Amino acid sequence: MKKSSILGLVSIAVAIAVIISFYGSASTYGSFKDAKSTNGQLHVIGYLDKEKELYYDASKDANYFSFFMKDKKGEECKVVFAGTKPQDFERSEQIVLVGEMKNNEFHASHIQMKCPSKYVQDKVDVTEVSAKKAEL
Amino acid sequence: MNTVFKGEHLLPGHLGQIFVILAFGAALLSTISYYFATTNTNKLDRSWLKLARIAFYLNSLSILGIGSCLFYVIYNHYFEYHYAWSYTSRDLPVYYIVSGFWNGQEGGFLLWTFWQAVLGNILIVRAKSWEQPVMTVVSLAQVWLASMMLGIEFLGVRLGSSPFLLLRNAIEAPIFSNPDYLSFIKDGQGMNPLLQNYWMVIHPPTLFLGLASVVVPFSYAVAGLWQKRYKEWVTPAISYALFASMILGIGVIMGSLWAYESLNFGGFWAWDPVENASIFPWLTLVGGLHVLIVFKNTGHSYFTATFLILFSFVMVLYSSFLARSGVLGDTSVHAFTDLGMFWQLVTFILAFLALSVFLLIWRWKELPITKKDEETYSREFWMFVGAVFLGLSCFHLVVFTSIPVWNRMFGTNWAPPADLVGHYNIVQAAFAVVIALLTGFTQFLKYKKTDIGRFFITTGVYFVFALVIAALVVYATGLYKLHFVFLVVMMASIYSIMVNGKILADAFKGKVKLAGSAVAHIGFGLMLVGALIAAGTRKVVSKNDKGIDITDFSKAANERENIQIFKNEPMKMGDYVVTYLGDSVSQPNHYYKVNYKRYDNAGKLVEEFLLKPNVQINPQMGLTPSPDTKHYLFHDLYTHITALPALKKQADAQEGEMHGEEDDKNYEAPIAHEVAVGDTIRFREGYMVYKGLNKQATVQNIPLSGNDVAIGAQLEVVSNGKTYQAEPVYMIKKNSAFDFARKVEDIGLKLRFTKILPDRNKIEITVYQQPENKKPWIVMSALEFPYINFLWAGTIIMVIGFLLSIFRRNKELKTV
Repeated sequence: MKKSSILGLVSIAVAIAVIISFYGSASTYGSFKDAKSTNGQLHVIGYLDKEKELYYDASKDANYFSFFMKDKKGEECKVVFAGTKPQDFERSEQIVLVGEMKNNEFHASHIQMKCPSKYVQDKVDVTEVSAKKAEL
Repeated sequence: MNTVFKGEHLLPGHLGQIFVILAFGAALLSTISYYFATTNTNKLDRSWLKLARIAFYLNSLSILGIGSCLFYVIYNHYFEYHYAWSYTSRDLPVYYIVSGFWNGQEGGFLLWTFWQAVLGNILIVRAKSWEQPVMTVVSLAQVWLASMMLGIEFLGVRLGSSPFLLLRNAIEAPIFSNPDYLSFIKDGQGMNPLLQNYWMVIHPPTLFLGLASVVVPFSYAVAGLWQKRYKEWVTPAISYALFASMILGIGVIMGSLWAYESLNFGGFWAWDPVENASIFPWLTLVGGLHVLIVFKNTGHSYFTATFLILFSFVMVLYSSFLARSGVLGDTSVHAFTDLGMFWQLVTFILAFLALSVFLLIWRWKELPITKKDEETYSREFWMFVGAVFLGLSCFHLVVFTSIPVWNRMFGTNWAPPADLVGHYNIVQAAFAVVIALLTGFTQFLKYKKTDIGRFFITTGVYFVFALVIAALVVYATGLYKLHFVFLVVMMASIYSIMVNGKILADAFKGKVKLAGSAVAHIGFGLMLVGALIAAGTRKVVSKNDKGIDITDFSKAANERENIQIFKNEPMKMGDYVVTYLGDSVSQPNHYYKVNYKRYDNAGKLVEEFLLKPNVQINPQMGLTPSPDTKHYLFHDLYTHITALPALKKQADAQEGEMHGEEDDKNYEAPIAHEVAVGDTIRFREGYMVYKGLNKQATVQNIPLSGNDVAIGAQLEVVSNGKTYQAEPVYMIKKNSAFDFARKVEDIGLKLRFTKILPDRNKIEITVYQQPENKKPWIVMSALEFPYINFLWAGTIIMVIGFLLSIFRRNKELKTV
C-alpha cells in the first residue's frame, strides 16, 4: 500500500474520531426537568425570576450567588453559582446556564446572560425623549 | 408626506452612498475587463487591461471616498446617521473615534475591502504576467465586499447594509415624525466600553489585513488552474501566503492580548466561536504554505497544496459568516447580530467554494499529481503529514464551533460540550503534539532521501535531551497536575525548540536559507510552552476560604477566587498583603486602587505596588470591569473587580450634613464620649484625639447672625497608619441647638459634636461606626499567570521567522 493511502486512512480515522467525540461530548439544551433525570452537566436556557430574591452577600461568602430561574417550559428552580453576582444580572433578558442538579438546586458552573441593551441595540429611548419634549 | 427634517447633514451621506455604488460598479467592471484581458488571445491588444486597471483604481478611490465620508460623519457627531449614533458619542476621545470606524459590521467590510484594494494595487505593480487572471479573482472578491455595503433593494431583496443609513430609516419610532427630531438626539449610544482599549485601535486593522491578504494566494491558485500554469503560480503564492499567515497570526494574538488586558474572563483564550473562527484560515493557510514549499522543491503534494490554499479563503469567508450572520446566537459573546445579510453571506461562501471545486474538477486530469510515492525518510513526506494534521485540527474546530450551524441546518438541538474549554484544550493539545514533533524531526530530514542511520541518532539524542528538560520544566512549574496529554505537548514543544535551535545555529554557520523556518518554529514552540504553562498552572492568588462551602462543584467553578476586601483594611492574600485604598473617577472609568505589599519571611517589606483595576459605568452596557496587571519577567499578576456595593450618590455626604435619623441606620449603635482637650477616644480600628475647639467654625450655606454661635471640635483621627482631620460642628441658632456631623468615609466613621459641658470644661462626642458590611468594599479576584511572556515572546519570534522567510522567498522570486 502507498504511504499516502495509509496517511489518508489515518486522517479518515481521525476525522471519524472527531465526529464520534462530537456525539460523545456535545451536550444538549434541556429543561430543569431533564436536569433532574440526567447525570452530568447540561445547558438550560431560561429567564430570571425578578420577583424572587437574588442573593449575594460578599461579607458572608464572596463566592456564593443564588437566584431563581424559570426555564423555557416555565418550571422554576433555585440556581446556585460559586462566584460573584454578574454585573447587571437583574437586567438580563435571557440566561444560559451550564451545570447540574444537586438536591433540587441547580448548580451552575457557567452563566451566560443576555442583556437587552446588547442585543436590541436599535431602541431609541422614547421615554427620555418625550420627557425632554415637554420642556419646550 | 414628505417631511422636511431640520438640522440634518445629508451631503456626506449622499456622497458616501454614491461612492459605495461607484465602488461596486467599478469592481464589477474591473472583474469583467480583467476576465476579457485574460481570455483575450491577441497579446498586443491591451485595451481590456487598461480598462480593468482604470476600473480597479476607481474602485480603490471610491473606497477611500467611503472612508472619508464615514469618518466625516463620525468625527462631526452627525447622529442622524445610524452608524455614528450606534457606535460613537460626543465624549469619545479622538483615537477611539478611529476605532468607532470599524465598530460596526459595515466598517468591518470597509476595512476588509480597503486592504484588498491596497493588495490589488500592489499586485498591479508586481504581478507582471499574472496580473490579468489574479486580478480577475481579486476584483471579484471586491464586488462581493462592495455588495455588502450597498444597502439597496434589488428585486425585493435588500443587498448589504450601508454605513450611511439614516437613523430615522433604521429605526421605527414615533419621534421621527417630528421634523425637528434631531434636537432631541443629543448624543450617540457610545462605544461598547470593552472596545475602548488601545488594542481595539490596532487589532481590527491587523486582523482584517490578514483576512484580506488570504485572497492573494487564493487568486494565484485559481489563476494557476485557470491558465494551466500549474507549477509557476507556486513561487509568488509562497511569498503572499507567508505574508498572510504572518499578519493573520499577529491579528489573532493581538485579539487575545486584548482579551487578556481588558476583558474579565481571566485568560487569553476562551475558545469562543468567534475566536476559533479566526484561526480556521490560519491553520489551513499554514498547512497550505508548507505543502506549497514541498511542491516547489519536489513536485509532490500538488493537490493538497492547491486544495488547502483554495480552502483557506473559503474558511475566511466562513469565519466572517459565523461572526456576522447571527447564527452563533447563544454560543458566542462576540458575534454580531444579523443585519439581514444571512443569505448574502452564505452565497458569498458558496460562490467561492463552487469556483474552487469547479476549477479542480475541470482541470483534474491535467493536474501534476505525482504517481510516485514520497520516500518515508524524506522531508516532503513529513511536511505533508504536518499539513494534513493542521487541516484535521481545523476540521475539529470547525465541527464543534459550527454546532449552531448544524442545529440550524438539521433542526437538531445540540449544545456545545458542557466543559467546552476542557474539551478543546485536550483535543487541540493532541494535534499540537503531532505538529510540534513534526516541526522538530522533519528539520533533520532532507528532501528526497535522507541517511537513515544518522537521522535516527541525531533525532534520538535530541529527543532524550528534550525529555530530560521537559521533565525538569514539568516538575518546576507544577504542570504534572495536568492531564497527561499536556505533558506530552510540553515535551514535543521543547523538542521542537531544541531541534530548531540547532538548525538556527547551523544557519549562522552558513546555511542561511533555513534561518527563517528555524526561527518561526522556535517561536511557535515557545508560544505553545507559554500558553501551556500560563493556562495550565494559572494560580488563584485571591483564594478565599471564608464562607459556606457549597458541596462539590465542578472543579472549574469552585476555585473560590473572589475575595472581599474593605477599604483601608489590609488583608493577607497568598504571598501578598492587599489593601483597598479608595477609588478615583476619570469618567467613564472608576478606578479602584489596590495596594499590594509583599513581605519576606523575616517580615521585611520586599516590594510594594499599586494596581488599578477599573469598572466602566455605561448606561447602555451596565458595569463593565477591566483588569489591571502587574507584569514581571516570568509571571503576571492579574487583578480584576468582580463585585461592588451598589453605587450610592455621594454628592452631599461630606459637607455640612445635618444629622439625620435615616442615615443612622447605616451605623452601629452610637457611643457617646465625654472628653477634655487632649483626651483620646478609642474605636474599633484606631483612635482619635480631641485637639481643641474652633470658635470660628462655619457651615456651608448657613449664615450666622446676632447671637448665633458655631463651634467646631477639632479631632485628629488615626486609623491603619493614616491620619485624618475631622471637625464636627455644634451650633446655636435662634436659641436652638443643632449639630452637624462629619464623616470619615475611608474608615466608615461618623462623628457628632452632641453636647457642650461648660461646667466640667468638657464636650460630648458621639461616635458612629459603620458595621463591617456597610463599609466601602470591593470583591476582587487575583490570578497569577506564570511564564505568559513566553507566549508573547514566541509570537514576536515567530513573526521574525516569517519575515526572514519572506525576504528569502522574495529573493528567489527575483532570480527566477
